[in-house]
Amino acid sequence: MIITLLVLAVLAYIFFTGGVPLLLTILLDFAIFSIVTLSLNLEVGHTGISQFGRVIAVIAGAFAVGAVPGRLLAWFMGLPHGAEYADDAVNYTVVPKLTELLASSVVLSVAFLLFSLILAAVCGALVGWLTSRPAIRLKEAYLGISLLAFGDLMMWVGHNWEPLVGGTTAVFIPDPFRVVWAYRFPAAVGTALVLVFLTYVLVRRLTKSPFGRALNMIRDSDVAAAVCGKDMVKLRTYSLMIGSALAAVGGAFYVIYAGTCTAVGFTRLTWTFWPWAYMMLGGIGSDVGILLGVLVLVVARTLILINRTTLFGFLMAWGIDPMWLEYALLGLVIIVVVLFMPHGLVPAKVEPVLPVERVRQVAERRPSEQPDSA
Amino acid sequence: MAPWLASGLVYASALALTAGGITLLYITTRTFNFAHASMATWGFYVAYTGTVLYGGSPYRYFPLSFLFGSLLGVVCYVGLNRPLLRRRAAEITLMMSTLGYDLVLLSGIQIYCDYLTHTFRLFPRRVTMSSYDAEIFGMSASPLILPLTAILILTVFHLFLAKTKFGISMRATIENPLLAGVSGMNSDKVYLAAWVVGGGMASLGGAFMSMAMTGTPVMGMMTLPFMFAGAILGGLYSLYGGILGGFLVGLAEYGAVYYLAMLGGPWVLGYRMAIPLLIMAIVLLVFPSGLAGLPWGSLPRKLAGAMRGVKS
Repeated sequence: MIITLLVLAVLAYIFFTGGVPLLLTILLDFAIFSIVTLSLNLEVGHTGISQFGRVIAVIAGAFAVGAVPGRLLAWFMGLPHGAEYADDAVNYTVVPKLTELLASSVVLSVAFLLFSLILAAVCGALVGWLTSRPAIRLKEAYLGISLLAFGDLMMWVGHNWEPLVGGTTAVFIPDPFRVVWAYRFPAAVGTALVLVFLTYVLVRRLTKSPFGRALNMIRDSDVAAAVCGKDMVKLRTYSLMIGSALAAVGGAFYVIYAGTCTAVGFTRLTWTFWPWAYMMLGGIGSDVGILLGVLVLVVARTLILINRTTLFGFLMAWGIDPMWLEYALLGLVIIVVVLFMPHGLVPAKVEPVLPVERVRQVAERRPSEQPDSA
Repeated sequence: MAPWLASGLVYASALALTAGGITLLYITTRTFNFAHASMATWGFYVAYTGTVLYGGSPYRYFPLSFLFGSLLGVVCYVGLNRPLLRRRAAEITLMMSTLGYDLVLLSGIQIYCDYLTHTFRLFPRRVTMSSYDAEIFGMSASPLILPLTAILILTVFHLFLAKTKFGISMRATIENPLLAGVSGMNSDKVYLAAWVVGGGMASLGGAFMSMAMTGTPVMGMMTLPFMFAGAILGGLYSLYGGILGGFLVGLAEYGAVYYLAMLGGPWVLGYRMAIPLLIMAIVLLVFPSGLAGLPWGSLPRKLAGAMRGVKS
């Protein structure tokens, strides 16, 4: 609670000193990483899968949006849409035309955005299904390392296979927010926040449902779950598919907002380890905690970034870029959390299956047996 | 010597050392050490700094790399690993703690690079260490010296494990920590020794690696999956398996890429990292206990039996 107030105070301070653009930047970072981290929490915190390859699903979403929707539009307009679409000389001329087309119609822009996000989710779910094949066989650490390596492999494939997303050069993405011209940035941030809200609601509903409780049961004891007739393989597969679909939406929104998609931008540092740090700070398994953890770290990183000349000017005298302190901050956060507060800022609570009020009602209906069972 | 074999041997011995270190740390402290990445990079930068600032052959500074890696390992053990082990933390928690340490070390590397650039006008972000290499018999020395050094170190370590009293107590602790503790062996000392040797091997491996490829601040981070692939090929439960696994993964990567590129064209080079990962995937799916888990003694008999159609 205190931390929430503190963060809000810092946000207000940023708002008054840095103005609206800075606040929007923070909110956008917060939104994208919240989606990714919530999806990570669904797999790690609720299902107990050691997901060290979050970047896989993010890449799936980002590459899908980088490669497919723009090509479809180009195909409709009769512009080059084959392998040459991703060539930087062609891409550079084609995409502005597509953006102009999108800017001419609100319906088309919204349809483009929705199609991109849904496509990303489908691709994410597909990749999630693929990664679930080893996930049902391997022990936790082995699985983590396999996923980590697979994520790297995907990044290198994108880096080397040019027709996909341009290889070493960036591929541009038609901008669906161009319709609102001057309000592009606020509109993007608003959409992102809506997506976070939807993700949060979805994850909450899921984890409270019988399905989510079965996931928690697998996490706590897979033998007990098997005894109760829960199919571990199926549940883990579903969890990975849903989580990966959500993360893919996060990645897709990131590239749509950025307007470009470069393969080397999707490192395991940014898209696997940062979400892990956010999740650990917020509290593994606690969805509210995740939002708080992401907010705290995003604000901290932004503060380091904007105050680096004033706060860390003494480092500049040695030619050292204070940007690197970001890594140290992240590492120290992980170490401190692991050593001193293993449950994070908002520890995950054991929630009753039904609200207490509802349990009392059920008990009152059968007064003869156990009147005080509530 | 085939052109790929020279750098392939250097790279393979580097992977053998790092994969051996990972295996050693895993069998003693149950920790998958992510910090191996930045420890390796630090080892390279120690050798680089010595070579560039104080002159001489890079080999002269390799012992220093080893010592620095040991120091990093001790810091990690005392500050991070020991409290967590005492708390009986889960494997994932141990893994995450080393990830945090790795990020702190990475930040240190980047800051150190900036410092080198600014103060000494060097270019530490893209380094070709092999240009400082000595020459033996008219060719570069590293493909000869480094594998020999790796073998020497591993022999010494083997003798230490097999012949000395502390080595034997170390093996006992690895086999069964509880029983070893009851017999009066100090597991704390054993773990500390494991981190000293494991960290040293990581840094020395990083210094080796820079002789085969371009040294960058993220060199260790990029090769970390291959180190893990080597350790997994080795089976993770045998130190010698890990060393052999790392060596095979390194050689396989260089050899396979060379011949595939001859067959299919240079585009193959971009996908070189698929080879170690393919090896890892096959190992995990087909024989998850790795090389060390294969029944080497009875393998010929079993194979012969399988050929005749007898189930063993």
